[in-house]
Amino acid sequence: MKNPSHNRDRKGALPAALPALIPFLVITGALELAVRGGLVRAYLVPAPSSVFRAMVESRDELIQAMLTTSASALLGFLLSTVAGIGIAVFLSSSRAIQRAFYPYAVFFQTVPLIAIAPLLVIWFGYGTRTVVASAFVVSIFPVIANTLTGILSTDPALRDLFRLYGASTLVTLFKLRFPAALPQILTGLRVASGLAVIGAIVGEFIGGQGLGSVVDIARTQQRVDKVFAAVLLASVLGLALFGLINLISYVTLRRWHASEQT
Amino acid sequence: MNRRNFVLGAALLTACGKSSQKIRLALNWKPEPEFGPFYAAPYRKYGLDVDILPGGAGTPTVQMVGAGSAEFGIVAADELLVARSRGNDVVALFAVFQNNPQGIMVHASRKLTSIADIFRHPGTVAMQRGLSYARLLEKMYGFDKVKIVPSPNGDVSAFLHDKNFAQQCFIASEPLIAKRLGADVQVFPISDIGFNPYTDVMATSGDVLRSKPEMAKPMVAAAREGLRIYLDDPKPTNLRMQQLNPTMPLDLFTETAEAQRPLIETEETRRNGLGSMTKERWETLIKQLKDLGDIQNAPAGEDCFRSF
Amino acid sequence: MGGIASSLQPGGVALDLKNVRRVFDDLVVIDRLDLRVDAGEFLAILGPSGCGKSTLLRMIARLAEPDAGRITFDPDTERFQTAFVFQDAHLLPWRTVLDNAALPLELMGMGREPRYQRAHATLKQVSLLNAESRYPAQLSGGMKMRVSLARALVTEPRLLLLDEPFAALDEITRFRLDNQLRELWRQRAMTVIFVTHSISEAAFLANRAIVLSRRGGHIKLDRWLALPSERNNDLRADPRLGREMKILLEAMEEE
Repeated sequence: MKNPSHNRDRKGALPAALPALIPFLVITGALELAVRGGLVRAYLVPAPSSVFRAMVESRDELIQAMLTTSASALLGFLLSTVAGIGIAVFLSSSRAIQRAFYPYAVFFQTVPLIAIAPLLVIWFGYGTRTVVASAFVVSIFPVIANTLTGILSTDPALRDLFRLYGASTLVTLFKLRFPAALPQILTGLRVASGLAVIGAIVGEFIGGQGLGSVVDIARTQQRVDKVFAAVLLASVLGLALFGLINLISYVTLRRWHASEQT
Repeated sequence: MNRRNFVLGAALLTACGKSSQKIRLALNWKPEPEFGPFYAAPYRKYGLDVDILPGGAGTPTVQMVGAGSAEFGIVAADELLVARSRGNDVVALFAVFQNNPQGIMVHASRKLTSIADIFRHPGTVAMQRGLSYARLLEKMYGFDKVKIVPSPNGDVSAFLHDKNFAQQCFIASEPLIAKRLGADVQVFPISDIGFNPYTDVMATSGDVLRSKPEMAKPMVAAAREGLRIYLDDPKPTNLRMQQLNPTMPLDLFTETAEAQRPLIETEETRRNGLGSMTKERWETLIKQLKDLGDIQNAPAGEDCFRSF
Repeated sequence: MGGIASSLQPGGVALDLKNVRRVFDDLVVIDRLDLRVDAGEFLAILGPSGCGKSTLLRMIARLAEPDAGRITFDPDTERFQTAFVFQDAHLLPWRTVLDNAALPLELMGMGREPRYQRAHATLKQVSLLNAESRYPAQLSGGMKMRVSLARALVTEPRLLLLDEPFAALDEITRFRLDNQLRELWRQRAMTVIFVTHSISEAAFLANRAIVLSRRGGHIKLDRWLALPSERNNDLRADPRLGREMKILLEAMEEE
């Protein structure tokens, strides 16, 4: 007989983060020494101290850029969550529909963004909309794939049970298949969250603004320190979004799914 | 192979040992007429075994040369100066373009009269904002009336789509493409505002110059001869390049090669040889970049290039 | 919903299977089965693995259609008066015990308060009151099965179908649940059809047992068990049980 031990987990949050910090500190320290000692050329890989300095110097610009990218990535992610789940529900309705339309969903996975970039700009113009579209295109497929798998993996006995009591397809979808698919859906969202950030940054290379623009311009100016600063912030953004999904997963699954139980 | 031949062969190889080492030349774009001289150059004749590495959007040639992943690279003069100011010891050897082939293209229907005009009227301007000329333009004219967007890197579809769209370009390249697709194009060279860095400069690292001194001179000689060959008859080289870059039709290669001539062969080159550079030009550029704030400590002009 | 309100005295249902046939991919699983079950019977269906007994049960539950023949009911049951207990409890893990037990009523549109009341009562009958707010992940196998039973009974079904429900449980729990099931049957006077491959369980629980052949679903034996109607653990040691088990075993072993 198990008891949810989430209280125990909460207390352990800070010590839990410590192991992850140690490699970071070690690598940063080693890199700093390497650059200062001339082992690594500063114009190829910047000293962490110069990255930090760049962050402080350009903090207004970087903060603004980070907010812009966050908004676009988040919006793109939300759109791909809603659309992805919707498309998966549609695909789950019949074998024939799956066979007819699933290959086109795979298109989202494989299309190289750079190739369709000019099209995106023509359709959505320069600015936020292209960035959001880019984040959407890049992140939607894992949502579709995982949600579909989750919905189709429903226990057949439970489906029989619902049939036995005359539940309609819609009721079965909302009361059985969807909740049962939740762990799988959240897995898909975890993957999609990181991709949404990447998609937003690439979209910003194409459409301007945000951290992507900072990276692009700094690269042209040969300011490696600023490039690294912006890239670091983009990683932080990705981590934050990932952490958000984990939080949602914890809250919704902790009572009943093995993945959130000790 | 009997023993005597083997020894002979080995001796020969050792004799030209140094010059039969693989030399990498990194380009900063796809094979196009601007690199004609390098594809036409008779490297073998000068005892060089050269591997040309085509590039694309964002190929970091100046870093590649600095890091040693290419012995020679094609860079722009302003880019080279910025690199030197960051501690990257790259040295210019040979300049294909005496005059900067960069420009901004607009729709002729707008009836604009100068580069300044572009920034006085509302519209979209696509350019790489981090480049020195862009920052110079911002300083001179201000960007408050226009919307600056990233450069589409050679793609003209956004330009065709919008009459008020202006785009950074290579004078001999994108405008010709846009014209073929039906646009009425007007081009303003960046050199109009007095910014005229040497472009498509073959550069090497200080390391290479010091450790392999016998490499640079024949390389420059080969490039010079290649440029002459290409100017006189670009056709065979264009054919070779077109096979490497099939996205561009052969007749466009011909047209572009013709259009870029006046930027390459000038009074200066007739006097001092193709690809030659002067200290004065470098010092002018250094001053401009220093005023812009793109470089902090100004290097000495003569340190930035070597004449062979 | 009228069906439930009026079934305060459920009387079970009679079934008549005539010439029932079921084929899967060229394999004839059930070949011309005739069976008549009276209202209120406790019938055990015995047979080796793969003999078609689960298929038969699903057809009776109307989860599958026979390829030939007919199954008629008297009175003609609306679906919700048939209940099914599977081999595994198959609870919804994201719902509490109470919510799980109340599920059939929820699917039939009953409001929250009345269905919780009914579920509460049924859980009491299977002795699970203390666990109402727990989640399935926190329950033992036996407790989960009891929730499954409660869920089956919450609609006051006329027909209760069970497909090897206690097979995965330990013996003590099995014996306890056997007793509980028998007791529930006596109280509610419903028709129970219990599929099992345990001869001792079939003999202990049922008042009638049929043995299906290895292939084709033919009835090899159809027997009314000569055992008292009061069944408790004492019966386990009773020689009469052993005698019935021997008869069933022989029928199963002969080919």
